[in-house]
Amino acid sequence: MKVFSECLMDRRDFLKTTIVAGITFAIPGNASLFLKALDAAEKTDLVVAHGISPARITTAAIDGLGGIRAFISRGDIVVVKPNIGWDRLPEYAATTNPEVVSTVVALCYEAGAKQVKVFDHSVVDPRRCYKQSGISTAATAVGGIVSYIDDRKFREVKLPGVALKSWPLYTEAIEADKFINIPIAKTHGLSTLTLGMKNLMGIMGSSRGRIHQRIDGSLVDLAMAVKPTLIILDAVRVLTANGPQGGDLADVKQLNTVVAGRDQVAVDAFGATLFGIKGSALGYVVAGQKAGLGNMDLAKLRIKKINV
Amino acid sequence: MIRKIRIVTQGLFLLTFLWLFLQTESKGTDELGYPVKIFLDADPLIFITTILSSREWYQTFFLAIAVIIATVILGRVFCGWVCPMGTLNNIVSALQKKRPRRAPLNWHWLKYCILTFLITLSLFSLQFTGIFDPISFLIRSFSLSVYPLVVYATKATFDLFYNLNIPVLVNMSEFTYALFKKIWLPFQQPFFLQSAFLGLLFFIILGLNLLEKRFWCKYLCPLGAFLGLLSRYAFLQRSVSEGCNSCGACDFDCQGGASPDQKEKWHNTECMACMNCDDLCPQHAVGFRFFKKAQTVPIDLGKRRVIGAILSGLAAVPLMRITAINKQAGASEPKLIRPPGSLDEKQFLARCVKCGECMKVCITNGLQPTFLEAGIEGIWSPVLIPRIGYCEYRCTLCGQVCPTGAIKKLEMQDKEKVKVGLAMIDKGRCLPYAHATPCIVCQEVCPIPKKAIWLEKAKVMSRNEDVMILNQPHIDLDLCNGCGLCEAKCPVLGQPAIYVTSIGESRSKENQLLLS
Repeated sequence: MKVFSECLMDRRDFLKTTIVAGITFAIPGNASLFLKALDAAEKTDLVVAHGISPARITTAAIDGLGGIRAFISRGDIVVVKPNIGWDRLPEYAATTNPEVVSTVVALCYEAGAKQVKVFDHSVVDPRRCYKQSGISTAATAVGGIVSYIDDRKFREVKLPGVALKSWPLYTEAIEADKFINIPIAKTHGLSTLTLGMKNLMGIMGSSRGRIHQRIDGSLVDLAMAVKPTLIILDAVRVLTANGPQGGDLADVKQLNTVVAGRDQVAVDAFGATLFGIKGSALGYVVAGQKAGLGNMDLAKLRIKKINV
Repeated sequence: MIRKIRIVTQGLFLLTFLWLFLQTESKGTDELGYPVKIFLDADPLIFITTILSSREWYQTFFLAIAVIIATVILGRVFCGWVCPMGTLNNIVSALQKKRPRRAPLNWHWLKYCILTFLITLSLFSLQFTGIFDPISFLIRSFSLSVYPLVVYATKATFDLFYNLNIPVLVNMSEFTYALFKKIWLPFQQPFFLQSAFLGLLFFIILGLNLLEKRFWCKYLCPLGAFLGLLSRYAFLQRSVSEGCNSCGACDFDCQGGASPDQKEKWHNTECMACMNCDDLCPQHAVGFRFFKKAQTVPIDLGKRRVIGAILSGLAAVPLMRITAINKQAGASEPKLIRPPGSLDEKQFLARCVKCGECMKVCITNGLQPTFLEAGIEGIWSPVLIPRIGYCEYRCTLCGQVCPTGAIKKLEMQDKEKVKVGLAMIDKGRCLPYAHATPCIVCQEVCPIPKKAIWLEKAKVMSRNEDVMILNQPHIDLDLCNGCGLCEAKCPVLGQPAIYVTSIGESRSKENQLLLS
């Protein structure tokens, strides 16, 4: 009973703060309002949702962009690509928050998706990564089709050639109707971050370690080839040092934030600010802007901030 | 009737063995959930020789002692009813339908000599039993060769259908493939060094059954010999009544070649209690009864052979130990990286029975059998080869499955600290050092929470005299635990630019680098 009333309270706050999305939710039958809402949502470039519950901020962030139906159509085969790269428990912020993942999977099904597939090309043993990250259990519980990478399903794909002319990519990822990228925000190397574009490495086959030689261009190539429908940057917990694998709770910072957007460059540029640096300090963000992949100029973006 | 019960029992034990074998694989957590090494635990030969060679008592002794007690009461029921190797030999032997024209070799003495030899070695702290012990032999052959072979063939078949790309057919084959993966296929194709050699050895041993029934069990198996000795005065003994007319019907079907048709001249130590003679006897003259005086002849052995076996054991110990790798610390192969939790090399070799359990369970397939890197004494013992597979940071499975404690079972917090060696960088091959090319893969993958690899921003000149700022990796020798993930993922293939050697391994006092 207590829990229920708390929900109501939060719902009210939620309605106040996200009027647009709220109205479409509350009065789904009202077509003109619905269209208006869509229109307003279209104009929002990024939604930054902040709050205690990973599930609610994820839903709120997507609602801020016009709701899941703006992205997923009935019958779609959807790929949800979290970071399941490492053998770490969720508290260590090396892998995407399992609740964020399961919320997205559930929303996709609500929007009528036929299948929602969840996978990642883990760096260390996949069995351990899938288990310890909590993602396998969480996504399966809401009907997600969680699978390990199958070596037979890589196909050489032509890339724009900023750095890579072609690379074997995972067919299930490139052939899906919709691709939702759900990275976690972490440090990488000494000063760089791994955000949305870097998370796409998880659909690469072959010896992908080599792309570090021209990482910025390679990530732009990959991002232009994959073109996610939606990017949800998990910053519920972020790893501030010793990434991307971490392992020390002292390096984890609880931000209780989720950033959602359509523009890969914009999401990563905003993600950088969570660590106190500018997007322009990230080579692949600059390269992405230059290649016309997106906009890193946060001043020119309509960013909606929500507290849930 | 008893024969049928025996066959069913054998089948159940074989299935249990195979099932536990399949469960010797990670499912993502650090527990296996099944007592996968139970057959090794029940092996009294491994039990006794390990105690002798290590001079230490052994934790899991209940089953081995139970087998000893069972043998003293019932005779070699372990051989006839339980042993999975025996059952496999039995199955292949059954292919031999006709009585061979040749007389049997009657080399029963050979297995007692092998046993004497092995016990002599273990008295002098050399554990060589695993090479001949049937359970060790079977698990090693299955893990390193037979199972990988079957898996490869299965996968190749399904790949063939997959690549045919005929819609309905692909669906059907993929469905079956997924089912197989759930039931008996491993997570990934295992690859092992010496797999062909070990497989060949296994198939030859199986093939010998076509020459003579249960060739291995009768003539080679040291465990059989040990149980044979125990069964000599077993409570349950065969007795033949007056009704026997020496028709010889029991002779061909006797699994131990114990000459059952010879009445009181039969060899009771060779009897595997298969009960074939009891079932087959047209006169119903054969029976097994408790507290009957054994009608039998002494073990056919001979003093000279026993002395010969002891002497060869006495010579073999120093012979195996005078290899130059034993001269001083650091003289042995630097790439001899032992699994985490391994005892100091001497104690390790005194316990390792080369059963291959650790290699079977290794999550990355990085544990491989040695050949001569650890001397003949250490043949087929486990070595970590990071280029094949690194040591997973939070995995302690190898220590969990080791039957003799050669690899200690580690608690997680200990595992994270145990060093199996140290990584070092080859600046002549490393991209940011030698080739003015960015790369941080080793640092990226390093699983140590505070990173045992740190990056130095260095000014590097390219050929066109452009100055580049590159991250050059360095290793923190205090933090590095030698897991080899950096070596496994180093993009400089072949000879890697970062590699692990055993120096600094926690288990050794001598093989150290830093003053601590």
